[in-house]
Amino acid sequence: MYHLYLVTSVGGRAGFGIATDYRERNKQYASHSGDIVKFSYIYGGLRTHAKAIERTIKTQFSDNIWIVDDWKTEWLKDGVTMQDLKAYVDQLLNERSFYRLKVIAEDYDFKQGLIDPN
Amino acid sequence: MTFKFNYEEVVRKPNPMVEINPLKRGKGRTVNLQDRVDKLNKNAAWKKTTKLWTAMNKTFDLTRFPQVSMEPLGALDIDEDIQRELDEKHCANRIANPAVFDPALLQPVICIKTSKGKFISIDAQHTVSTVAGLIDAGLVPGVTDWKEFKFPFMYIETNNLSYARKAFSILNGKGKKKQSQYQQLRNSVFVIRIDKDRSDEDDVKVEKLVAAAESHLCFPVEEDSTLLKHPGTFSNISTFKSLSINEIDTACGWHDKYFHYEGVHVSLFFIYRDLCREFGSAKIPLSGKLQEELAAMIQKLFGNLSQFQESVTEAHRRWHEKSYGYKGSWNDDAYACALVQLYQKFGGKEKVAPTLLDRFDNLIEFFDEDIMGLAD
Repeated sequence: MYHLYLVTSVGGRAGFGIATDYRERNKQYASHSGDIVKFSYIYGGLRTHAKAIERTIKTQFSDNIWIVDDWKTEWLKDGVTMQDLKAYVDQLLNERSFYRLKVIAEDYDFKQGLIDPN
Repeated sequence: MTFKFNYEEVVRKPNPMVEINPLKRGKGRTVNLQDRVDKLNKNAAWKKTTKLWTAMNKTFDLTRFPQVSMEPLGALDIDEDIQRELDEKHCANRIANPAVFDPALLQPVICIKTSKGKFISIDAQHTVSTVAGLIDAGLVPGVTDWKEFKFPFMYIETNNLSYARKAFSILNGKGKKKQSQYQQLRNSVFVIRIDKDRSDEDDVKVEKLVAAAESHLCFPVEEDSTLLKHPGTFSNISTFKSLSINEIDTACGWHDKYFHYEGVHVSLFFIYRDLCREFGSAKIPLSGKLQEELAAMIQKLFGNLSQFQESVTEAHRRWHEKSYGYKGSWNDDAYACALVQLYQKFGGKEKVAPTLLDRFDNLIEFFDEDIMGLAD
């Protein structure tokens, strides 16, 4: 199983990414930020579908990427909330029902270990 | 084994590109230079550059500004160490082509003027050679001696040949912003659509290709354009132009029918180029059922063609290394072969061109396990 996660930074900024091992990825966020970082939502499913959705988000949110001194980060700019991002992903999954991806965890951090996807 | 997948409809939404397609018509407006200066003054890169000029105490040296004058062609020399060999066919078939030649489109010679009064050409030797040749051939009424014929020269005064060498390099590519493939395509389209000039068969063909794509809501746009977020857009112009009108019509028709909610991935053109050509050679119809089942398979296994491309590229990398023992470069022919081979693996029964089955032997076995596991 592969994963698409929606992450909220310590400061409240929304971001997203993909990972095979979401627990390890969450640890890396904690290590870099010096604090527990929450994956607000983790979607699990087919690797290709998770990657396709991540790419679609990148394209559709291209105007909403947080840019610092000409550097494009992997976070969304001020004013674009986690609710906006979650609503967009859910809309995609509803409209494109062939995507085999579903929410397997909410408000997750690595201390919770691995989640049973069922 | 029956075919595993059914295509799932996605609700069609109005495509904003229908209204904002830049090729639909020209902007129909002219701006003055102030508009461009204003744009520069708002640009971060421009601000950085002007700051750098100040920091370096650099100023615009007016004494280096080029001069322009009308000079006799006989005054011009061509340094063969600076300019390329004359391409006689270029002069004959492109510049002097009687169907398109127009003196109004000639560019001035760019050259240096030495302290001895010699002009040495940096750019436009083909233009001036053509003009001199036409005079020599008696094709310029009232002019008999090309050496006396006055032509616009743009030059700076210097004896430094290294300047000329650098300038030639800049004028012929290095440092010059070249026309992009999209800009060239746009020019061809506007020559037909705005200027109503159908004299150049290349322009006519390009406009027909674009019209065929547009009829299926597919739209060429500039590389890195913000329009690429809209469905049906694509920026790989050179591959697009390599297909026939029928191939573009079929490819874009398939995209619009099944993936109207996605951008056009370049693999679409490679896939349909090969499907059309190989099925055509084998006299096998590219059936509607086959095309729908291919779309269903792409949806269910990959989501879209962009992800199919990523998966097939990785499978090809593994396949090549396993088959030949070293890393090989990607081959665009693998798109259609992999697609048709996957189709049969997942129970597809429609007749396919055999030439797409016996290449890249066992390639599909190198797709990820989570993909191939769905066949069980």
